Amino acid sequence: MVEVKNLTKHYGRVTAVNDLSFEIRDNEILGFLGPNGAGKSTTMNIIAGYLPCSEGTVTVCGHDIKEDARAAKRCIGYLPEIPPLYPDMRVEEYLRYCAGIKGLRHSEIKPEVEKVMRRLSLIDMRRRLISNLSKGYKQRTGLAQAIIGDPKLLILDEPTVGLDPSQVTELRKLILDLGRDHSVILSSHILGEISAVCSRVVIINKGQLCAVDTIENLERRATDSIILNLTVEGDQSAANKVLSEIGGIREINEIADDDESFSSFKISLENEKVRQEITSAMVKNGINVVEMSTERPDLEKVFLELTNKKGSKDSSDDK
Amino acid sequence: MFALYKKEIQSFFYSPFAYVLSALFMLIFGFAFVNRIASMQTSVFQFSFPDMFYNNFFYFVFIIPLLTMRSFADERRGGTEVQLLTSPLTVTQIVLAKFLAIETVFLFMIALSMFYPIYISFHGTVIWASLICGYISFFLWGTVCITLGMLFSSMQSSAIIAAIIGEIFMEGFLFLDQFAATKMVESHPQLNSVITWFSMQRRFVYFAQGLFRLEDLVFFISLTVLVLFWIILYIEKRRWSHR
Repeated sequence: MVEVKNLTKHYGRVTAVNDLSFEIRDNEILGFLGPNGAGKSTTMNIIAGYLPCSEGTVTVCGHDIKEDARAAKRCIGYLPEIPPLYPDMRVEEYLRYCAGIKGLRHSEIKPEVEKVMRRLSLIDMRRRLISNLSKGYKQRTGLAQAIIGDPKLLILDEPTVGLDPSQVTELRKLILDLGRDHSVILSSHILGEISAVCSRVVIINKGQLCAVDTIENLERRATDSIILNLTVEGDQSAANKVLSEIGGIREINEIADDDESFSSFKISLENEKVRQEITSAMVKNGINVVEMSTERPDLEKVFLELTNKKGSKDSSDDK
Repeated sequence: MFALYKKEIQSFFYSPFAYVLSALFMLIFGFAFVNRIASMQTSVFQFSFPDMFYNNFFYFVFIIPLLTMRSFADERRGGTEVQLLTSPLTVTQIVLAKFLAIETVFLFMIALSMFYPIYISFHGTVIWASLICGYISFFLWGTVCITLGMLFSSMQSSAIIAAIIGEIFMEGFLFLDQFAATKMVESHPQLNSVITWFSMQRRFVYFAQGLFRLEDLVFFISLTVLVLFWIILYIEKRRWSHR
């Protein structure tokens, strides 16, 4: 669907994007993650054909965005960070205008606008002036202009910014629904949103590619150890003695507890098997286990780890 | 391209904008018209429309930047420029659609001013050939001013600043003739000829006198095309150096 190769963008002496390469597959929702100023919006603007790149190529549906811009742009629906809306237009009038500039024939405009308004629940708002819409409906109208004309690729730049939690949930559902018949690039710095919606993630920092992988693989790679939260009856010294005799434990952190009848630990394990060994050893030594749970490394850890590695580059794509 | 043209026309006519500017234009024209009639000294009314056009244009050029100030500046400020430049439309199509929309509003204003000669034709005689010539020159000069106003709008993200720069530039254009007539410039014949060549007023006077010169027609049209091309290049250049 989209192939980005060695994409570089210089602004004078500043390099905003440096040698980015990744691809977006058919009907895939790709998350685009990075801290503020990482080059997310610049990359999206280049893919959408708004900004030209300094080096490299972007191919959308087989069309080069530089050489064959018109054909490539026909395949793209773009929702920038600030939705491109005219406050003095009505919703339906605006969507008809959008259909017109996307090159739809006069006879196709009306049914297409109806279809899009129905899909995004804008039917009741069709006669409303855009300036009078709530933030959520403005965002929907922005999304409607992106999907009008049924482009194969949707580029959504931080679409949930400024929305209330229920609007965020609704918009996520919409994006998931759109992902069934479109390829979507979704940029966000809200990690929960990316893990809820996207199948694969591109992480960039300071214009450089940090990782391209599925969320599961990234989480697995975040840390190669398992964190075990353990609470047992009795004082810490007895439990500590048992734990010190078990192999495969990397680190034991004792957690201070007000209740002296219980002891809590945070234990770093080499693998899942060690957990079973701990359970058996505790039972064998007559120590009652009150609570035992493992912590899964989440996307946030991956993100922080990768973005804190200055200039790190790891393009171990799962392709 | 038609969709953008239609949207631009709607933004003028669905708001009071075009009507307020047209009313201002008619007011200026009306004052000149009433002044002429009020200064009648004989029962035979010697009425010169070309003269009126010439005098009127001094005021009219100040309306043009108000007409063009929003064309690109508002798109940049409102973030809708991104949508236009990522649509399948080319920059040339975008510029042309906006130019044609403003030209339509300009023609609407010109059409309104036809009220005066039509009114005269019921009570006296109108020399239509001279009138048409006056209108053509008025339209051509106005078109050049529109493209210049659009150029300033494309360079700014604030419509007000675009209008102010436009007003300053229009005033400079009007005083080009007076500058050419100064002793300093007159003492340098080559400099004088260059400045006089760029003077639009001089060419406008020929037209206004009913003299249709191909040279002047080519001048106005080529200047319009040149400035339109400049706008296209400027927008493309801004995309490349965008920060």
